[in-house]
Amino acid sequence: MAAISRETLAVTLGAAIVVAIAVAGAGATGPRLAASLSEQAKVAIKQAGGAPVTARFTTANGWPTRHPLLSGGETLGEGTRARVARAIGAIPGVADIRWADGTTLAKGTEATPRPAVCQEDVAGLLRARTIHFEEGSSRIDQASQTLLDEVAAALRPCLGSIIGITGHTDSSGPEPGNLALSRLRADAVRDALLRRGIPADGLRTSGVGSRVPVEGLDPDDPANRRIEFSVVATEPIKPTPVDTPGPR
Amino acid sequence: MPIWMELTVLMLVAYAAGLALGWLLWKGRRKGSETDG
Repeated sequence: MAAISRETLAVTLGAAIVVAIAVAGAGATGPRLAASLSEQAKVAIKQAGGAPVTARFTTANGWPTRHPLLSGGETLGEGTRARVARAIGAIPGVADIRWADGTTLAKGTEATPRPAVCQEDVAGLLRARTIHFEEGSSRIDQASQTLLDEVAAALRPCLGSIIGITGHTDSSGPEPGNLALSRLRADAVRDALLRRGIPADGLRTSGVGSRVPVEGLDPDDPANRRIEFSVVATEPIKPTPVDTPGPR
Repeated sequence: MPIWMELTVLMLVAYAAGLALGWLLWKGRRKGSETDG
């Protein structure tokens, strides 16, 4: 009996020592780990276009944690929020992301974000910049490759939808040639998106030549040479488990 | 969940696994020595 008591005592003492080591170890390294994750999250948020979002890596009691609480993204679209959550989830060491305003994304409920969000995101990207082509050619300008990367990232939340890619030209040159060129340019953008992992079955291309100039522009204005994206059919996506990844 | 709690759980699980393994080895060795004797 005395021997059993001694063994129990040894096991209990061992457990207490393990707990003490764990707490001391976490106390020594936890704050530094949380600070490092927080810094990486800031960069990830910025890159994902979620500037107003902040990721807090402390619990309500102020203890460092690997489970961030995201706040400040109330005004962002669901697509952008999903992108931000995914970007933070991709940081090694981060687990179980939650939004402070309690969203579908954090809880994985049945909410259905509107795919039109992608269209808005892509339109936002292309408002300030344009996919350029070499003159009279369907070859995409090298400088537009980064923009295509961003377009592909913005379209990713809409996978499952049918995305229309429409090519436009200005009115210089004969219209049959413009029409063919606008189609080739739309095809070139589709191919570029395929290379970036967007599935072919969700992409539809068309070319309208110079028939649809930008509103307020002369038809022969070079700014009419452009690519437009539209979500032509929708199949709502469900929040992905990426938003609540398990411990690594 | 705070980091200290995660680490504590993880280390306790490892400790318990170590104890269980040690006990199994000890039991196996004792059984073997009884047979030999």
